[in-house]
Amino acid sequence: MNILPWDLSVIPQKFFLFAEAASYTLQITFFGVLLGLLIGLVVALGRLSKNRALSSLSKAYIFLIRGTPLLVQLFIVYYGLTSIVTIAPIPSAIMALAVHNGAYIAEIFRGSIQSIHYGQMEAARSLGMTHGKAMRRIVLPQAFKRAVPSLGNQLIIALKDSSLASTIAVPELMLKGRQMGSSTFMYMEMFIIVGIWYLLMTSVLTYVIHRVEEKLKVSDRD
Amino acid sequence: MTDSVKIEKIKTDEKILQIQGLNKWYGDLQVLKGIDLEVKRGEVVVIIGASGSGKSTLLRCVNFLEKSKKGKIYISGKLVKHQEKQLNKVRQELGMVFQHFNLFPHMTVAGNVMEGMVQVKGLPKVEARKKAEKLLQRVGLEDKADVYPAMLSGGQKQRVAIARALAMEPKIMLFDEPTSALDPELVGEVLAVMTKLAQEGMTMLVVTHEMWFAKEVADRVIFMDDGIILEEATPEKMFSAPENERTQAFLKQILPSQQE
Repeated sequence: MNILPWDLSVIPQKFFLFAEAASYTLQITFFGVLLGLLIGLVVALGRLSKNRALSSLSKAYIFLIRGTPLLVQLFIVYYGLTSIVTIAPIPSAIMALAVHNGAYIAEIFRGSIQSIHYGQMEAARSLGMTHGKAMRRIVLPQAFKRAVPSLGNQLIIALKDSSLASTIAVPELMLKGRQMGSSTFMYMEMFIIVGIWYLLMTSVLTYVIHRVEEKLKVSDRD
Repeated sequence: MTDSVKIEKIKTDEKILQIQGLNKWYGDLQVLKGIDLEVKRGEVVVIIGASGSGKSTLLRCVNFLEKSKKGKIYISGKLVKHQEKQLNKVRQELGMVFQHFNLFPHMTVAGNVMEGMVQVKGLPKVEARKKAEKLLQRVGLEDKADVYPAMLSGGQKQRVAIARALAMEPKIMLFDEPTSALDPELVGEVLAVMTKLAQEGMTMLVVTHEMWFAKEVADRVIFMDDGIILEEATPEKMFSAPENERTQAFLKQILPSQQE
């Protein structure tokens, strides 16, 4: 057992000490992505809008957010805004994740909305529906369905990206791993535990996304 | 048959559709060059012509899916302006059937037919469902009400699309090459539904390559060429003695068996 320089038996012993930290990881990811979905939808519709100002604004948002690291955005929210308003670590992390993922999700939505054949909009309009209603009833439900695989991908990315919140003192998995490592000097063991927790969570998410995709298939031919 | 089938057509002088001096450009390309056309209540008008002659564009202009730069379109005597609010209202009076059906794939067959009734006309769902079932019976698909469009054949899809358009109780039905995307063996069932509709007195404007339908069902046939109406006649005259050279050439090409 002692061929390796690490004491791997610590892993099962300490494993569940990380449960609370994992729940923080899940929470900031969940709320961050939920808000990100909202931002993404609004920005995607803005980007596709005929209104020039709205469309440019959305483009600028995507340009700025996609072109800068999440860590920078996180620090701007947590440290940068302090001269105006102080935001606690967890809300800061959620906000930064939402803003960051919103840009990516906007592009996912834009792509899936544009992939819906224009005949769908025409058929809806020819029944006398307004543009908004046709969007809501006909185009968006189909676009959402098409977006699910990419959204699932983004959710998993967001879960892993949430580890950056450790830098602003959110007591999530990564921070817990660093703290446990420095207090026991068993860095390898602790970060293996952290890795296993992430892997567990991404596995569950992957499974859930797969199930959602299956469920949405009802209207397709097998 | 639940609905009374009127074999005798009611012909009146009531004009359902009037088009005056319609022009349409795509960029620099002029696809419609001054179209004048009237369709009276109960009339079946068939538009024929080569692809690129502007016949589909004309139909799409009538439904205001395309904006025409110049010209006037009256529906039931009322001039239609390109204002969203009025267009949403007017479109309810125009039933449109597309070449590629454009059924809503995320809704069942009944859901497709109910959609306009519930979302646009504000009918309660129960009532809309009953009406949808009746309409599906009319197109011979009452057993497919709860199936998704992906499970249907092309011909069945188009019949659902017709039922969906009829659900809005339109004053005129517009058909944009309704059988062009169908396998040959499926064309008949769609034409049969359209023929029945015509016999029931529905006002129809049909763009089609089905010369049989034009001959047997149309009251008037219009030949379009290069963005203008080149010839307009009864089907008897159009198919036996077309006046214009280009009409003759077109019909010769499309009806080679007519030579004997």
